[in-house]
Amino acid sequence: MAATKQSRDFDSQRLLFFGESKRHIREALQAYLFLLPGTFILSVFSLFPIGYALYISFHKWRIRKGDFIGLGNYLKALGTPQDVLFALGGLGLLTSSWMLWRKIKSEDPAKIVLLKALFVFLLIVGGLGLLLGFPQMLSNGDEDLFMALLITSYYSLGTVPFQIVLSFLLATVLFQNIRGKTIWRILYFLPYVTVTVASAAVWQSIYEPRRGLLNLLLVTLGMPAENVPKWLFEATPIGVYLGNLIGLSLPDWAGGPSLALISVIIYNIWTYVGYNTVIYLAGLGNIPHSLYEAATIDGANRWEILRNITIPLVSPTTYFLVMMGVLGTFRAFNHIYVMTSVVGPIGAPRGTTMTTSMLIWKNFWSGNRFGYASALAFVLTGVLLSLTWVQKRISEGRVFYG
Amino acid sequence: MANLAQAPVEENLQSYQLREAISRGLLYLILTIGAVIAIVPFFWMLLTSVKTYGEHGAKIFWPAGLSTSPYLDRPATQVLTVPMQPAEGWQNVPRSFSPPLEGAIPVASVSRYVAQQLVEVDFPVPFDVNILATDTTDDGQVNYDAYMLTVGSKIIDQFVTRLDEDELGGPNYAGADRGRWGPHFQVVDSDPDNFIVEESWNVGYMLLHNYIFAWQEANFARYMRNSTITTLLTVAGVVVTSTLAAYAFARMKFPGKDLIFSLYLATYMIPGAVTLIPNYLIIIKLEEFFQATFGMTNAWYDNWTALTIPFAINAFSVFLLRQFFAQIPDELYDAALIDGCGHLRFLTQIVVPLSKAPLMSIVIFNGIWAWNSLQWPIIVTSTETWRPITVGLSSFITEAAAETQLTMAGSVITTIPILILYFFTQKQFTEGIATTGLKG
Repeated sequence: MAATKQSRDFDSQRLLFFGESKRHIREALQAYLFLLPGTFILSVFSLFPIGYALYISFHKWRIRKGDFIGLGNYLKALGTPQDVLFALGGLGLLTSSWMLWRKIKSEDPAKIVLLKALFVFLLIVGGLGLLLGFPQMLSNGDEDLFMALLITSYYSLGTVPFQIVLSFLLATVLFQNIRGKTIWRILYFLPYVTVTVASAAVWQSIYEPRRGLLNLLLVTLGMPAENVPKWLFEATPIGVYLGNLIGLSLPDWAGGPSLALISVIIYNIWTYVGYNTVIYLAGLGNIPHSLYEAATIDGANRWEILRNITIPLVSPTTYFLVMMGVLGTFRAFNHIYVMTSVVGPIGAPRGTTMTTSMLIWKNFWSGNRFGYASALAFVLTGVLLSLTWVQKRISEGRVFYG
Repeated sequence: MANLAQAPVEENLQSYQLREAISRGLLYLILTIGAVIAIVPFFWMLLTSVKTYGEHGAKIFWPAGLSTSPYLDRPATQVLTVPMQPAEGWQNVPRSFSPPLEGAIPVASVSRYVAQQLVEVDFPVPFDVNILATDTTDDGQVNYDAYMLTVGSKIIDQFVTRLDEDELGGPNYAGADRGRWGPHFQVVDSDPDNFIVEESWNVGYMLLHNYIFAWQEANFARYMRNSTITTLLTVAGVVVTSTLAAYAFARMKFPGKDLIFSLYLATYMIPGAVTLIPNYLIIIKLEEFFQATFGMTNAWYDNWTALTIPFAINAFSVFLLRQFFAQIPDELYDAALIDGCGHLRFLTQIVVPLSKAPLMSIVIFNGIWAWNSLQWPIIVTSTETWRPITVGLSSFITEAAAETQLTMAGSVITTIPILILYFFTQKQFTEGIATTGLKG
């Protein structure tokens, strides 16, 4: 009895198995067919190029392929191998010491001492490595690259926080019981919808030193015509410029980004605030209304509600927007290219708008240094990936997912 | 008793209403400031695009073409008789040999509007608009056909009635140049003894002439066509490929799914700067290959293929759709399966109609990206045949940099199709964008 039952079970299982597997095979084949067009294009124009770019970056490549130089292009960009090892290794050790520090709390007392010692050790070694390697890297590597990274950081830091704060403000206001919500939203969204090249051209004419709207406005408001900034044409750092206005002379290195870069930053904020507002509005809409009601009953005022409910609950949106903003500024090309094209060669004035992507473009398209430009692109990728990682780490525990 | 109890309540209510009104006013103020900042550049663009070169140069805020009476105290067309004398050094030459003639239009007889523009670009007052007429033909007849209008040492206009205008060329400083400027001078009668100049206005032409000029000068019609075609093709490609791929990832079982998905993910993480150079080389290689094998020239380079095919899929669209497809309840598929429905029919007849919103986002995003792309088209196009509007506009901006009114007209031309599209689809547009933010 038992044997027959068993064999019957086995048979049915086998039958089922074969039937299923036939279905599975058919489904798999069909899936591959579905994936074929997309994956083919992706492989040819997105995946293969990654490897190809790596290959190019290992060569001296000026339009035509030249000699294989291994890591030569990377070393030209970043300095000698020791510098890179010291600086990046130092940075890595510092990061791991920081990660260790965050984990220490959960361990038992005996281990804490040990871990703390390890933390101090990592901190010192990492710090030393960075201190030794980084200045060397700066002096041995490509000055243009480090300058570009600094400019890009200025660009990012000058853009993203303002974008976030302004769009959050607009979104919270729009989220109130406001008349004509659609119309406001349409208006705020216009800058994002406009073709980048066109809006960049418009802003470039607004910034025009002699006849632009901005300076006409400044002069009308009573600014002496000789003090009026030349905006996109002004290579003077913003700090130095403002210092001069109040009669203070700052050294160039303390001046921060050039006025030209500030102009680009203002344009960038103008373009993306509306976009961010729309995304914030969606985020705000997701917060359950009952929370607000409960808080109101508990006697919380508007500020407390904002501080304790709204801001923590839209933190995923904030995180998303910060991430997109930082990545966007590091990849930005179109508007910088268009706005500064009238001022002079790439990066004009005096290279103060030469962000990393502009530097890559300059090496690739104007300088025909394909190999070096590829190496720079990978350096940029490294920076972007580590930024993403750091942001992810920092946001952990701070971003509240419903 | 009752009155005493009610009074404070009413007072509270009043102060509450007042506070409420103030805070609402503040909200609208913030919104208005934001809206003004968002709109002002567009206003400036439109305003500048209907100005003349002279108006922009003279920092005149409101263009005459938009004012109700651009002629001020003058009629739309006025005829001035200018006494002409032989130019210096030609006094002794008989009139029948047609010596160059000189004459002057005193500023007082020029319309105030023109005078104002000339003054504001730093011409000394009072001044005359000098006319120099020359006979460039050597046919023994007296017929003056080349004219130059100057103020001081600056040429404000020059034109020929016989030759093609291009042959004379040259600078048109204050911008009283014929055809491109609304108010212009024209020689009506070139009889040396009765030399008549007409100063005329054409408001309609004034408003449109920057657009007409930019449109002709930069071949915007061609660029517009190119951008429209390449954008439509790219978007169509993305919709088809990413719908299929996303469906496979979301609802089908097959070996190697994770591997293939991680490949998609990899392309999402790598910035475009990395793939730009190899892709350029790939296009060049493909071009060479097609030339050698099929004898086709420009099969890839400087053609729509290079502008569309590499962008006919992107990981972002696949992720977005996959997420949505995965939410569709399994029961729906099981029911469809019982009805004898395969994956393809399920996809086209049930999933796609259910996914209008995310598909719309994909259309919108890819549409914006494709229409905005600049770097890649600069690299892979060399002629106007397939050059998109972004490249056309950006090179027009550098070429016509000194003539802001033209670059603004070009910008308006480029922006208008997108804006029209936006106004018609703005609801789906904002919703589509909002959904992409939500995934965090």
